[in-house]
Amino acid sequence: MTTLKIKALVLTGYGLNCDIETAYALELAGAIADRVHINAIIDGSVSLDDYKILVFGGGFSWGDDHGAGVIQAVRMKHNIGSRLTRFVENGNLVIGICNGFQTIVNLGLLPGFDNDYQNRSVALTYNDCGNFRDDWVTLAINSDSPCVFTKNLTTIELPVRHGEGKFVADEKIISRLIDNQQVACQYAIPDGTPADKKFPYNPNGSMLDIAGICDPSGRVFGLMPHPEAFNHFTNHPDWSCLKEKIKRGELDAESLPVTGIRIFENAVNFISSSSG
Amino acid sequence: MPHRLEITLKSDLLDAEGKGICNKAASYFDIKIDDIRTVHVITMDVDLSADQLQTVRTEIFTNPVTQISSYDPLSLAFDWCIWVGYRPGVKDNPGSTAVEAIEDVLNIRLAPGEDVYTSRRFCLSGDHLNRSDAEMVADELLSNDIIQQVRVFAKEEWDQNVGIGYIIPKVKLDHTPTVSTIPMDSDAALMQVSDERNLALNENDVPVIRSYFNNPEVRSQRKHIGLTQPTDVELEYISQARSDHCNHNTFRGVFTYTDFETGKTETVDNLFKTYIEAPTLFLKEKKDWVISVLWDNAGVGRFDENHYYVITGETHNSPSNMEAYGGAITGIVGVYRDPLGTGLGSKLVMGSYGFCVGDRDYSGDLKPRLHPRRLLDGVIEGVRDGGNKSGIPTGFGQVTFHPGYMGKCLVFVTALGIMPALAAGKPSELKTTSPGELIVMCGGRVGKDGIHGVTASSETFSAHTPAGHVQIGDPYTQKKMHDFLLEARDEGLIPHITDNGGGGLSSSIGESAMMSNGCEVYLEKVPLKYDGLDQWEIWVSESQERMTVSVKPENIDRFMALSAKHAVESTVIGKYTDSGKLHISYNGETCAYVNMDLLKSGFPEWEFEAQWYPPQQRGLYEPVIAEPKNFNAVLLDLLVRPNICSKQWITRQYDHEVQGGSVIKPLVGKDRDVYSDATVIRPVLSSSKGLVFSQALLPMYSAIDAYHMTTCTIDEAIRRMVAVGGNPDHIGGVDNFCWPSIQYDPDKNPDGRFKAAQLVRSCRALYDMCMAYGIPLLSGKDSMYVDGHLPGKYGESHKVSALETMQFSTVGVTDNIEKCVTMDVKSAGDLVYILGETRNELGGSEYYDLFGCIGKNVPQVFTEKFIPTYNALFSAIGKGLVASAHGIYRGGLGIHLSMIAMGGNLGLDIDLACVPAGDILRNDTLLFSESAGRFLVTVAPQLRDKFEEICADISCACIGSVTPSSTLAIRDAQGNPLISVAVADLKAAWKKPFGTLV
Repeated sequence: MTTLKIKALVLTGYGLNCDIETAYALELAGAIADRVHINAIIDGSVSLDDYKILVFGGGFSWGDDHGAGVIQAVRMKHNIGSRLTRFVENGNLVIGICNGFQTIVNLGLLPGFDNDYQNRSVALTYNDCGNFRDDWVTLAINSDSPCVFTKNLTTIELPVRHGEGKFVADEKIISRLIDNQQVACQYAIPDGTPADKKFPYNPNGSMLDIAGICDPSGRVFGLMPHPEAFNHFTNHPDWSCLKEKIKRGELDAESLPVTGIRIFENAVNFISSSSG
Repeated sequence: MPHRLEITLKSDLLDAEGKGICNKAASYFDIKIDDIRTVHVITMDVDLSADQLQTVRTEIFTNPVTQISSYDPLSLAFDWCIWVGYRPGVKDNPGSTAVEAIEDVLNIRLAPGEDVYTSRRFCLSGDHLNRSDAEMVADELLSNDIIQQVRVFAKEEWDQNVGIGYIIPKVKLDHTPTVSTIPMDSDAALMQVSDERNLALNENDVPVIRSYFNNPEVRSQRKHIGLTQPTDVELEYISQARSDHCNHNTFRGVFTYTDFETGKTETVDNLFKTYIEAPTLFLKEKKDWVISVLWDNAGVGRFDENHYYVITGETHNSPSNMEAYGGAITGIVGVYRDPLGTGLGSKLVMGSYGFCVGDRDYSGDLKPRLHPRRLLDGVIEGVRDGGNKSGIPTGFGQVTFHPGYMGKCLVFVTALGIMPALAAGKPSELKTTSPGELIVMCGGRVGKDGIHGVTASSETFSAHTPAGHVQIGDPYTQKKMHDFLLEARDEGLIPHITDNGGGGLSSSIGESAMMSNGCEVYLEKVPLKYDGLDQWEIWVSESQERMTVSVKPENIDRFMALSAKHAVESTVIGKYTDSGKLHISYNGETCAYVNMDLLKSGFPEWEFEAQWYPPQQRGLYEPVIAEPKNFNAVLLDLLVRPNICSKQWITRQYDHEVQGGSVIKPLVGKDRDVYSDATVIRPVLSSSKGLVFSQALLPMYSAIDAYHMTTCTIDEAIRRMVAVGGNPDHIGGVDNFCWPSIQYDPDKNPDGRFKAAQLVRSCRALYDMCMAYGIPLLSGKDSMYVDGHLPGKYGESHKVSALETMQFSTVGVTDNIEKCVTMDVKSAGDLVYILGETRNELGGSEYYDLFGCIGKNVPQVFTEKFIPTYNALFSAIGKGLVASAHGIYRGGLGIHLSMIAMGGNLGLDIDLACVPAGDILRNDTLLFSESAGRFLVTVAPQLRDKFEEICADISCACIGSVTPSSTLAIRDAQGNPLISVAVADLKAAWKKPFGTLV
């Protein structure tokens, strides 16, 4: 069965905009990726049942008016809410990236305590810096997290591009996320130690430097940084410097930074092994 | 009964927007505000039940984790409360998405006339604040009276039960659309109507127009369909088509050019044909990568055998000058429709910006409509939202400060797209309309937006007159349309597509109907934002986010189905014919019936007198300045100058990573905080080819000679590409001219003849450079009348004209992105080379400007020397011999040595004695001359011989090395220490002016 290609669905439409590079990243990771308009799922012309991985990608759905990801969540909850929860309960994978992360927390797919995938208990709100910010960040990965997508990673560098990425929730929720090891990745300074809210390492003021969380099963994952935007060596801000080091024998080509593709490979591998 | 929902963040959460306003109030106006809480107000002029109101409140408009909300005024403590809402007819994007969400959640459709309006109120705390403080913040930070209305409440004026009340900015026109005919008994009579109606007809055109309508054959044909005198729709159509904006009359004009250096007078008939079209047609034959130029909305070049790239550049100056945010977002979103409307349609892959404004800290007596600082904030935010929300990376940008832009700012916006060479099996660069095809309008609806551009801005406002002349672009609506149209293209449903920009339907249909040679348009079918528009207004409205597409009748059902899937409004509003007539009707009544060939029928060319006085005759000379003694201080003082210093806060607001193809980013180096020479992207993710793009803007040299301003600008744009590895054999150009008025008038424009001569010289320089460097002009635009009249201290006003300005953009293709290099020095011990000669060319330099001088020795371009240099560097980079490369631009060698050192956070050890510079001995000339054609290159020692071999025949010298010391050390011509500054101190100075902005 593992020889069978795994199908991933990447949402498009209504102002979403990272669908092409996200589909490309999934294909590099060995999946078959279809870009599907939200309305094609709602009208039933495309069925979630044909897919193992569902991606809520980046963008500005509905212009992010009235809160990032809010209207997308409302539209999907009202039209295909039950189909989404069934998709998760069937053991499939969901990843929300940036606007997608904002959407799935508004849907309640995260944090997903006690298999409740409807409850809205965490939020991503306006950056403390007061503005949209594009920069690369270092993420420290929680190796004790059940998160399927971050398996075998310790740190990874990825770009952030958002105005509303500050993770907030009340203390009880936060401590529960920690106890369950649902905090999958945190903003860090380049050596991998916690950013401790220091700007720009923590670019938005997220509580506890939280950059991404998963549900208790580890199969639903949301993060603000963009793994699909690190799909090639030359995306990395230091690549021209690293290239020189390799040329001079100061660095071996094996020890180049891990790209964001690894996160999608983890997803594909999880499905192959579980269905294998 | 309307409903008003107020939403705000929970009190324990930081209000970042409020904090931002506090910071601006303090730093701009020295008004200290303790705290500001922002309240989002949603006024629903919709009939909803109590249950429905609760549903939308809890499910859409309130985040249970972060927000509180209420249909009664929220009771927040304040000393002053400022409410800001839109005027009627101003695009309220959140209002529209609110309607979508409400209809979706409640499964209802709003009734005609029902709508949702968003506004905000700001609760200011600070018991020392007085009314004038609050009004200052309201008027200078939070609102612009052109598009917004404001209320300011003192604590004691606030009624907690009433709150702001119910303010419904609904457009009510109460007007029955009417077509009026225009009497044209005499030229004077017609000209008078033109003035009354803001038709802006050129009086030389009037006789041609009258003779057309008086032509017996025309009269009998018109009589046949019930028309006699010309209608307002017809004259608006002619006026739009003949406007300088659409027809480029200035560039197509006849110039009588007198050179008072040689005494010669000559006639230049048509700058466009002579200096832009001619070289481009010539080069098109030589360069097989040129696919489509000079006729479409944008130019097309070959990216690889299966893909073409598309590029164009625009400006949006006047609207931005009135309403910075709205003008800029409309500009960037608007230019993105050009590649989308080129060929059969291309996907947008990159955008860029260029802002020219007055001194950000201006404190003089002139009173521009918007202070330069506020204007800059607004255009930055406009391009940010327009680009980011379109999902298009903003890969490059520049900002230039100069007092000349106080009269009118410049906002350059450039767009690049990619399309498949074949779309549904057809060559994607070709398109045409054919008789029988349907005319479909897609995207936004039509209102009184942008009618007669900003001439309408003198209108006085009433409570319900639409303030439509300044628009706010809607990237969300356009992104949906973009995705839809590309899908339709790939299904082969689009034989022709073009955008609606200047002139609206009048231009898009008027021009596309030329191909089929006729059209019928049914204006009553055009979807409107509100009733009451006259037929001519529907025809010329410039409402944004609209494309005009031709669709074959057999494909219309599929086209409409796709449109519905993407939630895009599309409407059939007519059909293309071969009748030879532009035929417009409204409910069956003909309101325009014009021969398609009228516009080709001998309208007179505009005429200009141009008089060139060389710099010496204008009394320009080299200033008498003895060499400074403290060069450390000079260098540091240059680094903090506005046109040199870091503007990182702008770059980081722009998404330059979306689409996943960034290769060389706008900011590079160890700390990722120094500007790269050019941007490289990987627009086709599976390909290792890259698109290389750069731009230059050097208006200061126009103070001496616009010819050399132009040559230097083009040369810089080329060098920027070559510095990252761009191929000198594949450079496409885009010229964007922004010129002050050149029509001589003894009182209003006494130096018009000189400015006209500067334009002629600039165009000649453009021709010379294109021919020498082999650059076809893929696209270009001109924007004239960059002048303003600013009120002064005593009730007088002053005409302020911009420097003669041309932005030049270069685009090319690199075969292997992994061969590209960045400007930051990479490794201690590397050798530092300078390519090209340094000449005594301080004229118009940053160094002279530091002392308030202009000088005379403007930098010049010597293409025969430069071309071998560019080829040598290209081949050295291709062979992997170059660790870093950087052009030497504004500020000269001293500044750009600093840049590469700051890039790598490493020191440099430099000997000025080794700099090839003819007989120049002065250190300030060596360090700050802005001679063109130069690069700084670093090379690993072991590659020295290979590199020098490639550079054997060009001016190339090793001037020092990269050091671990992290100090920039420069020795003078005699070998004595001249400059020694820690790189950290250079960076601190360079970041000082804007370093605290985020």
